[in-house]
Amino acid sequence: MRSSAIKLSSTTVSYLQVAPLLLVLLAFFGIPLLMIVGVSFFEYDGVSSVPAFQFGNYTDLFTSRITLTLYLKTLEYALIVWAITLVIGFTVSYFLAFHVRNILWQMALFLLCTVPFWTSNIIRMISWIPFLGRNGLFNQALMGLGLTQQPLEFLLFSDFAVVIAYVHLFTLFMIVPIFNAMARIDRSIVEAALDGGSSRWRIMWEIIIPLSKTGIALGSIFVITLVMGDFFVVNTMSGGHSASVALAMYNQIAAVQYPFAAASAVILLLIVTLLVAAILRLVDVRRELAG
Amino acid sequence: MIPGERHSTARGGIELAGVTKRFGETIAVKNISLRIPAGSYCCLLGPSGCGKTTILRMIAGHESPTEGDVLIDNENVTGFPPVRRGTAMMFQSYALFPHLTCVDNVAFNLKVRGVPKAERHRRAREMLARVRMETFADRLPAQLSGGQQQRIALARALITDPRVLLLDEPLSALDEFLRLQMRGELRRIQAEVGITFIHVTHTQMEAIALADMVVVMDQGRIEQAASAREVYDQPRTGYVARFMGGQNVLSGTVVARGANTLTIKSGAKEVTLTAPNAPPGEDALFEAAVRRDHIRLSRAASTSGQPGVNAVIGRVAAIEYQGTWLKITLEEACGEEFVVNVPDNIFFADPLSVGEPALAQWDAGEIHFLAAGAKASASSSALGHTEMATAGER
Amino acid sequence: MQRDLGKRPWTFYVLAAFFALFVLFLYGPMSAIFVLSFQGPTGGLTFPMNGVSLRWFSALFSQERTGDFAGGFTRSILLAIIVLALTVAISVMAGLAFRRRFFGSTAVFYLAVASLIMPGLLVGLGVGLLYQTVGVTPTWFGSALGAQLTWTLPFGLLIMFAVLSRFNRAFEEAGRDLGASNWQIFWMVVVPILFPGMIAVALFGFTLSYDEFPRTLLTVGAENTLPLEIWGMTTNVTSPALYALGTVTTLVSFTVIALALGSIAMIQRRRSRRISSRTPATDDNEGAG
Repeated sequence: MRSSAIKLSSTTVSYLQVAPLLLVLLAFFGIPLLMIVGVSFFEYDGVSSVPAFQFGNYTDLFTSRITLTLYLKTLEYALIVWAITLVIGFTVSYFLAFHVRNILWQMALFLLCTVPFWTSNIIRMISWIPFLGRNGLFNQALMGLGLTQQPLEFLLFSDFAVVIAYVHLFTLFMIVPIFNAMARIDRSIVEAALDGGSSRWRIMWEIIIPLSKTGIALGSIFVITLVMGDFFVVNTMSGGHSASVALAMYNQIAAVQYPFAAASAVILLLIVTLLVAAILRLVDVRRELAG
Repeated sequence: MIPGERHSTARGGIELAGVTKRFGETIAVKNISLRIPAGSYCCLLGPSGCGKTTILRMIAGHESPTEGDVLIDNENVTGFPPVRRGTAMMFQSYALFPHLTCVDNVAFNLKVRGVPKAERHRRAREMLARVRMETFADRLPAQLSGGQQQRIALARALITDPRVLLLDEPLSALDEFLRLQMRGELRRIQAEVGITFIHVTHTQMEAIALADMVVVMDQGRIEQAASAREVYDQPRTGYVARFMGGQNVLSGTVVARGANTLTIKSGAKEVTLTAPNAPPGEDALFEAAVRRDHIRLSRAASTSGQPGVNAVIGRVAAIEYQGTWLKITLEEACGEEFVVNVPDNIFFADPLSVGEPALAQWDAGEIHFLAAGAKASASSSALGHTEMATAGER
Repeated sequence: MQRDLGKRPWTFYVLAAFFALFVLFLYGPMSAIFVLSFQGPTGGLTFPMNGVSLRWFSALFSQERTGDFAGGFTRSILLAIIVLALTVAISVMAGLAFRRRFFGSTAVFYLAVASLIMPGLLVGLGVGLLYQTVGVTPTWFGSALGAQLTWTLPFGLLIMFAVLSRFNRAFEEAGRDLGASNWQIFWMVVVPILFPGMIAVALFGFTLSYDEFPRTLLTVGAENTLPLEIWGMTTNVTSPALYALGTVTTLVSFTVIALALGSIAMIQRRRSRRISSRTPATDDNEGAG
């Protein structure tokens, strides 16, 4: 009998198997992250960055009045979008998980909700332009119905448009984790509660919401980080009337102010991390993520 | 495959020599030595977590012992991969490959050995015929019932021409009817192929019905390894007696010794028995067993009376009708539950009812003395045995 | 829920209506774009339609109007295929590794999760800075590929966790028991059984890369991918050619999704199908059915 030439311990095999993942993540996420932190201390002029260690970029950032405005605006978007996507995501998941009885229908409708995830965000975003514009479908419908004489101007290139686009793009990130959590709830618990005479509201508050908590937390993390990091939706849908932290950063990059952009990035990352940590403190999602 | 040793008629004799298996801090198997004769049907019996599956997996080569050796036909196979051991395993979940048809599942071993397709399909179909599954050759496992899947798993294991077949709880996923049917089938196939079968189960009756040799385990140790009859009729320890059922265990410390009797304190009651040849001293732990169906039961005046030698008095707590006999449970008779199996004709001649005092008597010859002492604490483990095996002892 | 079969509570209808509105909200604007991409030659960016034509689709191929559509499209497809292959290979291996606890496994897991929720623009900035510092020219098949992997790999890993949590280790042991080498077990047992899950990982790898924008923007180098071309068009193209491009790229996505989901469904159906006409002669009294 031939025997295996090399005997590898199972731990060695694990390390070899995980090595490509680790290398890619370190090279394109870990080290770049350190680069950002490092460059945030550099000096810069109009054309180039000079290696240095100084806090000028941060003091510039903290003394600028625009910074606070930007962060407040971004947080406002995040909060509004989070609230809307949570309501929609929870309602849609609840309908799919508890009201659609046929498993095939459930799968089909769930897929119907997730298919747009696999298509282009930019295309989905610009698809609102013919809808919300001055001569868009929405205004034409309103005027056709005689509800308004003048087309509504606030629809496109406004906060309203930004929020609509966010909700359109990111609600999926709420639906998928909440639906997953709800699908795991044992139907017999709900049955037993109904038999015990509990009202549907009580079941909702005492069984379904607590058991969907991890899904809600995961969805919230996704939506909040996506909104906090966005620049192209704000740029396009606000028509330049509004801005976000990431958009300001993008403009700094375009102006070759890399150290300043890096400092903004560090602060943005810290805030996002704090928000995520706060959610993780409220709900332990580790088990959920680890499968 | 393996040169030498294979020409002898019976193959698949197994020896475990001082085998210990640790998983981190817990000890699953504690210094076990065991010989299983070639060509026998052996059942490893015990509650879940007792280490029986670990032993099976060490014989199969899916686990390696922390200490000790595994020998098959006098050859030390410790560290060998499964295929060099000449063992084949039938998994509890059957582990049929869901993407392969039945015939390809069965032919898998031949395929990895490079047997050409036509040849391996021919041999796989022959093997399928042996388990009466030839008409299902082209189906996928998901299209079969549990019993049919099991036959495919059996065929897939047997096609490797093993000297030992290892079966991990093979009948646990089947319903009662199928279980009885497959039990007979397993025995038939074992007799046909003439190799050693090692079958892990937690069902006493399954072990007794199938096995030439029953190995009763608890907490990583072997409590008794003997023929089915011996394990049932002459349990070595209180644990085995309680686990196998069919016996009442009288357990307690010796409080008095007579001419040829001794009295033990069992629970709140004192029980006087005919003493063994070498009686233990006072305050020693003492355990004996009496078969439930070798006891006479009669009505008593009250539960406080003196039962005399080789007898207990208790109150009837439950009566279960079992068809040809009745299971009568007495409470307050001794330290633990005391059961008498009474033939139905005798019981119904003068039926007792629940709550009545009753006297249970037996002949001196019916007393079976147990190895007490070291395992005296087993009384607790016999009741709550599920998680015990994980509690390591140093 | 068998109790009230037939009679549904009123909440069902309210929720069903809500769901229908949500689906309309999801797909409505996209279908408007689809219709408008067939706008007549004199038509504009909004309704009404001034006739119907394919003019805006043909305009895609004339560079002066729309930029480098063909080049962007080719690069995006190629990049998506490379990302797909790497994501499947790396995620499957890593998923298998995570079935055992090893020193540092938690750290690697959190690194992946952090990479998943890191704002894309920041990944792009970091990778861009790294390339600048090292002095390597960013390319779509180098820096952009790496930046995209930081996004597709965590998704792939999470999907593999879900897939492997249902994968019984006994399959591998059975393979070993039947004499297969580790290599044979991997190719003849593990890969075929995990194949539907691997298609799902592939779907994520392809579509996430094909449509990736924020990570690619700062890392792509001189030659753009398709989403970057589209981004450029949003600011300077004011003809329905933009919608035509949207229609084309969405159709590509839909084709890939349909292929992936269709093949998963086919494999699962094949594996769980029961043949209704069973052979009575050999069915020996088994009650299952």
